[in-house]
Amino acid sequence: MHDGVAAYVLGVLDEEEHEAFERHLDACERCQAELIELAELPEQLDELRNAPSSTSGDDPPMSMSR
Amino acid sequence: MCPVLGHLDGRFESADAEAEHRIAVLYQEFGGPLLRHVRKSTGNDLQWAEDVVQETIVRAWRNSARLQWEPSLIWAWLLTVARRIVIDGRRRKSVRPQEVEPPEVDMMSVPDGSERALSAMVVADALRSLSQEHREVIEQTYLRDRTISEAAEILGIPPGTVKSRLYYGIRALREQLRDKGVAG
Ligand SMILES: [Zn+2]
Repeated sequence: MHDGVAAYVLGVLDEEEHEAFERHLDACERCQAELIELAELPEQLDELRNAPSSTSGDDPPMSMSR
Repeated sequence: MCPVLGHLDGRFESADAEAEHRIAVLYQEFGGPLLRHVRKSTGNDLQWAEDVVQETIVRAWRNSARLQWEPSLIWAWLLTVARRIVIDGRRRKSVRPQEVEPPEVDMMSVPDGSERALSAMVVADALRSLSQEHREVIEQTYLRDRTISEAAEILGIPPGTVKSRLYYGIRALREQLRDKGVAG
């Protein structure tokens, strides 16, 4: 169960699992501590998502999916 | 700024007034910082970011037991709640054709000179330094807006394996970024 903290912080769990993990989090100090450590990591990954291409600097993130 | 706060004029029962007050306090404390963070993930779409912050605050108010946590944990939780709302919105907004893939990390061109470009390169380097197994699950889940189950199907490995590799991959990525001096 503890290894769900990464998937949780990235927001990539299915709805049901996401909620189950939150209930686990309520009672698990280890995962609470890891959540604090990892909380801003997804934003750093977003740098890749948002990295502007040379032609379209202001495009929203979705533009990369084409 | 916040439609939820539009009726502080005494027409509500005291329980509602109490709720409005609590929500106002949450806004005061977390609204600004949340908006700054959320804007980064909405590609600077301010209206969308404001909606996400509002929903985050309302969810926080509904889960008030978690507001008894220590501040750094509350903040980490709120960021995660907000991220999840952004991801849901993104998934709703786009039904993307499965056969079209976003560019690989190596193909992304970033202009020189901006801080963003610099940190994107640092993160890309960190990601490249991970093992193939670790990098792959990060790319196939978060960076492509896919759930664990969806990525598991694409990669042909069990969801539990994706979840576990993601855990070790994310830990390794954090170590890398910390060594490069860009993580706390
Ligand atoms: Zn745990």
